[in-house]
Amino acid sequence: MEEQVIEKKDIKSWIEGLFADYEVYAPVLDEKKGKVYKKVESTEDINLEFLNSKNSPKDIYFPQTERLFSFSRKDEMGLIPPHMDDKKKIVFGIRPCDAMAFTMLDKVFVSGENNDFYFIKRSENTLTIGIGCIKPDSTCFCKVVGGEPSSEEGLDILLIDTGKEYVAEPVTDKGKSLIEGSSFFKEATPENIRLKEEAITNANEKIQEFDISGLKERLDRGFDLPVWAKIHEKCVGCGICTFLCPTCHCFDILDEEGKEYGERIRIWDSCQFPLFTKHASGANPRPTGKERMRQRIMHKFKYFVENNDIFACVGCGRCVKYCPVNLDIREVLKSLAGDGGGKS
Amino acid sequence: METNENEIRLTVKKLFDEDKIDILIGYSPGTLPLRTSPVFLRKEDDVEVLVWNSFCENTLSNYLKNYKDKRVGIVAKGCDSRLINLLLLESQVKKENLVVIGVPCRGVIDRKKIDKITGGMEVTGSEEKEDGILIFFDGTDKKVTKADILHDSCMICNYKNAVSSDIFIGEKEKEEKVDPYNKIREMEENSTDERWNYFNKEIEKCIRCYACRNVCPMCYCQECFVDCTDPEWFGKTAEIKDTKMFHIVRAYHMAGRCVDCGACVKACPMDVDLRFLTKKIEKDVLEFFAYEAGVKDDEPPPFTTFKPEDPQEFIR
Amino acid sequence: MKNPYLPFSARVDRVKIETEDNNIKSFDFILLNKSDEDAFTYLPGQFAEVSVFGKGEAPFGMASSPTESGYLKFSINKVGVVTEALHNLEEGEIVGIRGPLGNHYPLDEFEGKDVVIVGGGFAFTTLRSLLIYMQKSRDKYKDITVIYGARSPGLLLYRDELEKWQNQDDLKMHITVDKGDESWNGLVGFVPNVTKDAAPSSENAYVIVCGPPIMIKFTIPVLTELGFTPDRIILSLEMRMKCGIGMCGRCNIGSKYVCKDGPVFTLEELRKLPDEY
Repeated sequence: MEEQVIEKKDIKSWIEGLFADYEVYAPVLDEKKGKVYKKVESTEDINLEFLNSKNSPKDIYFPQTERLFSFSRKDEMGLIPPHMDDKKKIVFGIRPCDAMAFTMLDKVFVSGENNDFYFIKRSENTLTIGIGCIKPDSTCFCKVVGGEPSSEEGLDILLIDTGKEYVAEPVTDKGKSLIEGSSFFKEATPENIRLKEEAITNANEKIQEFDISGLKERLDRGFDLPVWAKIHEKCVGCGICTFLCPTCHCFDILDEEGKEYGERIRIWDSCQFPLFTKHASGANPRPTGKERMRQRIMHKFKYFVENNDIFACVGCGRCVKYCPVNLDIREVLKSLAGDGGGKS
Repeated sequence: METNENEIRLTVKKLFDEDKIDILIGYSPGTLPLRTSPVFLRKEDDVEVLVWNSFCENTLSNYLKNYKDKRVGIVAKGCDSRLINLLLLESQVKKENLVVIGVPCRGVIDRKKIDKITGGMEVTGSEEKEDGILIFFDGTDKKVTKADILHDSCMICNYKNAVSSDIFIGEKEKEEKVDPYNKIREMEENSTDERWNYFNKEIEKCIRCYACRNVCPMCYCQECFVDCTDPEWFGKTAEIKDTKMFHIVRAYHMAGRCVDCGACVKACPMDVDLRFLTKKIEKDVLEFFAYEAGVKDDEPPPFTTFKPEDPQEFIR
Repeated sequence: MKNPYLPFSARVDRVKIETEDNNIKSFDFILLNKSDEDAFTYLPGQFAEVSVFGKGEAPFGMASSPTESGYLKFSINKVGVVTEALHNLEEGEIVGIRGPLGNHYPLDEFEGKDVVIVGGGFAFTTLRSLLIYMQKSRDKYKDITVIYGARSPGLLLYRDELEKWQNQDDLKMHITVDKGDESWNGLVGFVPNVTKDAAPSSENAYVIVCGPPIMIKFTIPVLTELGFTPDRIILSLEMRMKCGIGMCGRCNIGSKYVCKDGPVFTLEELRKLPDEY
């Protein structure tokens, strides 16, 4: 299928028509929570003005609190699995970096050997319609970690804003049939294509790049680098970077006890929290901020790469923007990749 | 401000040269517009990285707990100097290990207010001018007066100069006493339901990242009650039933110990109004005990001490 | 679709206090459903997450051998919330068991070779499993040597069985305590020293070491001295774990997850990993 075009004024009508068959998740300027992705009941709630949300859309598949099952004390500890509906979903307006993060989460939760029931239930039957970033922020660095503002990775359809229209790139068969079933699309003209290419070129020029080619070699022998002691020094050990990160997937499992019923839940956890690795005996293999910061960086840029051949970072820049002490992961990477790491 | 910046550098250099300190906690340029970042200098590091401007939003006294055995120099705003007094009173730092470099402060800017001015467009650059801040965004620029973008805490700050310091930089900022409780008084007028609803609406945003706790110099417990699992005082989820408890107990722990430096709200990624609780408690403490946290270095917080004249209406 | 977080229900069949300080109890659990029992096929070295509903779950290595059919044995040290709740259980009560998880001792490799088992304190659990498993097909292995130590006689696990094993001529047992008492007429001394004295041959042999970090630290040099190469020294690691299936992110050492890639590693494998355990 060739590239298609949809007029901007029609985009909401198109989405409107999908409500019958899909739950629609989209960027919303929420009165309470600000810029977020959430399930929308009407296209009026969708906001395509801001570049990206504050919290990543990972919680659509991997909510901060998930009820794994409940148990009853009345009978012989009968376990009651949660009800999870099979409704088809559309994640609309997702940015390419966040879509790429979904493919990373897939690698964690759907390994073939062990599959996360809840993640799969929430992510299966989902279509992703992404919007390329023609105006990236200065904190965006997707190109450094293997993405780009018009990346199709993890998307079923990619839309590129060309002013009056969106040029739609059907990426998968699922995406194609969604477009085919709609009367709002028409075949893109050479002029549409030219505008699209121009927008993409502009975006690619705007987005910052820096060289991390030395990173692998540095991290491979970098566990004991003196620089770790320096990197973490200003870190306050909060969970902002990990909670807002679209690829961070660590969690805790615990029980909530009621009189007759209780629940086993899982909640997001953070490698930056001291209790994350603390044994019941009191021993802790990562006792200080230094080890915990090293784990975060090494996991994203070395361990995950060793297991999955990609960085566990999509360069969305949320951790850069929202760190309360301006601990900038880009600077960390630059200093590690360059000679700032010090001698090992 | 620029002259003060220079004087800070000279002072620090001298402290290192005279071997008075092992480490200096100050501000360095940030990697983003409108930001600075905490920096930790050792003797061999260059003092030229030190800055002092309206973007020095972090509460540096939070880091003192990491350097208990070191001789530390610290750049201290009014709020930080009060916090240092409290940390001294609560035996968290040793006076003999500390060189407080007091600075006069005209308040720091609130990035979230600027966000509103630019309509959410990213600020691509900023310059501090004598009478305001020049911000660049969306291919244009705009000058904003500082009063419009000052942090709420700074707008009602009565201690612009470090209340106690070993070295004071530059000239003292003029302090005109303002009533810091206007907003709280307005809130007190509201019905219980209205106040409860406001509280719930704010707390609902919380993602329980603990940034508010972790940036607070007065939160130094070895094991925080929220982390404790045996006993588990309340649930661990980020659902409001649990986060509500966290914020209520957190605020109460701050009673008589909060100087309203605003670190918690500045750090909060979800823009939760955390100050209305602590500010209300601050007002109550002032009314009941005539106590302002950290203003004097010999007056411990009321809940760490006992005086016969303490109010005791609650015992009936 | 299989849900890896749903535990099997099991009944507490038997509780036995193992040590005189009452801190370690052994539990025999019987899975309630026959189909679960069939699904729970394991080998020595593997572990499972045991739940007390309402308190949570925690990982423990199976102390029973798959050859002892009908029940699963866990020997549990009381250290935290979950283990305390486990210790409060009485026979007949219901728990959850999720597993088997992790890898197992490389049993195929042991065949036709000498096997040396070195254990300390309450870490003898999966070693018991291994020892019983190997005895079921004793002729597959050559010499089996066991060196097991505890702080005092009353802190040794499985005392009845130890006594039985000591009387067998197909096992070389070296049971030792750091400090004896009037009833003790066995060896007195630390595990590394006893290992040195026992001097098991490293020729065509494997050694499995489980115990407190300090014991492991001092035993490895002794084994190296005896000629055991790092690829023939097997260790089983303990880390804080939650999911047990490599997703929750806390038990990694470098790029390896102890729950999924372990808990059994050779010393050779461990030396390639960062020193963070």
